Amino acid sequence: MLEINDLTVCYDKAMILNGISLRVDEGELVSLVGPNGAGKSTTMRAVSGLVQWEKAQHRGNEGDITIKGTIEFMGHPIHRKPAHKIAEMGLILCPERRRPFKEMTVFENLRAGAYMIKDKKEAEHNLQNVYKLFPILQERSHQLSGTLSGGEQQMLAIGRSLMCNPKLLCIDEPSTGLSPIMRAEVFRKIMEIKAMGITVLLVEQEVSMVFKMTQRNYVLSSGKIIAEGSGEELLKDEVLRKTYLGM
Amino acid sequence: MIFDIVITSLIKGSTYAMLAIGFSLIFGVARIVNIAHTAFYMVAAYCIFYTTTQLGFNPILAIFVAVILVSLLGLITFKLLIAPIREHEAAVLIATIALAIALQEVMMILFTGDYRSVPPLVPGFATIMGVKVFYQQLLTFVSVLVVLGLMYLFLQYTRLGLAIRATAQDREVANLMGMNESQVAMLAMGISVGLAGVTGAVLAPLSIVEPHMWNHPLAMMLAVVVLGGLGSIKGSLYAAFILGTAEALVVFMIPAGAYLKGAVALSIMVFVLLVRPAGLFGVQFEEER
Ligand SMILES: Nc1ncnc2c1ncn2[C@@H]1O[C@H](COP(=O)(O)OP(=O)(O)O)[C@@H](O)[C@H]1O
Ligand SMILES: [Mg+2]
Repeated sequence: MLEINDLTVCYDKAMILNGISLRVDEGELVSLVGPNGAGKSTTMRAVSGLVQWEKAQHRGNEGDITIKGTIEFMGHPIHRKPAHKIAEMGLILCPERRRPFKEMTVFENLRAGAYMIKDKKEAEHNLQNVYKLFPILQERSHQLSGTLSGGEQQMLAIGRSLMCNPKLLCIDEPSTGLSPIMRAEVFRKIMEIKAMGITVLLVEQEVSMVFKMTQRNYVLSSGKIIAEGSGEELLKDEVLRKTYLGM
Repeated sequence: MIFDIVITSLIKGSTYAMLAIGFSLIFGVARIVNIAHTAFYMVAAYCIFYTTTQLGFNPILAIFVAVILVSLLGLITFKLLIAPIREHEAAVLIATIALAIALQEVMMILFTGDYRSVPPLVPGFATIMGVKVFYQQLLTFVSVLVVLGLMYLFLQYTRLGLAIRATAQDREVANLMGMNESQVAMLAMGISVGLAGVTGAVLAPLSIVEPHMWNHPLAMMLAVVVLGGLGSIKGSLYAAFILGTAEALVVFMIPAGAYLKGAVALSIMVFVLLVRPAGLFGVQFEEER
């Protein structure tokens, strides 16, 4: 469903991603893990078109961005498409740091998530589904999203990305900054999302819980994929476990 | 005299609010500082002058023509002049200053620098508490309130309004939700200039129409935006009435106060920047990396 081939991203002269390749098949839950600064978010931003958008913003300025390699989504190359077109194809990124629209209510955030759904009935149906998955959002629907707790904001961010029927949902570090209980809750919800038939690419630093959920994982470090496999396989490797997975 | 001050504050406040909200809108959505904003207001006033006094248009028709022409002019200049250099903030600033001066000079060539006046769309006045209130003043005030109300409904309850607010808060996430950022910017520019056009059209009969008439509103509008907090529409609304009142007080209470109008804006701006640079309702834009 998603196929990244030899992707290289440079900001100015710093090579952030150095020829990475990875693949996510339909129905899978795949994780991309690695230490802080490895380039996980940059990978997500390239896949969702934000790196390209940023590049267009900086057109002609210092700090040029270069992108090489290919990204294919459902057989179509997307590495030159603008971010909103990629979203229209059904590839949705739930961004790092959650980023709710803080000046809007929970309900308005969800409505913004359904921007691409022009059919009112369908949008309402999706809203009810999101409320079913995250009942707390319904309780808080008229609260400004900036006033929610970190865990609730994460639920909102995921809920918002679900509003437009994504085919592939990329989630960037949903558990960061949450209590252990909240983390477990978020991961449970992600399993439910997978069970709904949505393909998920999950970026995380916290591997112990993630490896229990996935069959395949990629380990990214300094802009390179250094290992791939099931959690069990990856954890067998002493060096990998201690140095890159922090366990 | 108190009633005079109230009337003047309300009219000034509401027109500054319209100008500042339009200015904030395009800044919020596209990070464009459009110095030419009030120049569009001046063009609209000239449109009203030309169509009503020279072509004999009916005033209502004249307002529609003015707003549509000015919005088109805004969109065309956006497309040709601003969009290609949007990534360079300094260039946008310079380009919009140049545009404002160019519009001023074009009006100077077309209509000379003579002071023009536009007859009130509704002649006559009522006497309220011993003070003459011209129907035109009421009309201006009410139209501004109506337009602001419509604006609010549009931003709050429509799909495109939501896209504008989302883009203003976080351009990257708006992109991720499938919002086409450059189309939203175009729309915001159209609305922004349209608001400037409406302001010029309804205010023309109350002001002297001349090529430099955009200077003072520009200073006031910038002061409003600084006081209200850059990018905050709510802040603009409050700040506009505060500044409108401050200006009315100076004009009425201080001898020869009319000459001090400009100083009011500048001193408030300096004061706010020193004491509370984020303004009353500074919006924190989501940091783009
Ligand atoms: N806009 C940018 N300009 C320059 N360097 C950046 C930019 N964004 C990220 N980086 C750098 O790229 C590296 C990878 O960042 P990121 O993709 O956020 O890693 P991760 O998500 O794995 O923590 C970091 O060293 C970071 O400093
Ligand atoms: Mg990251």
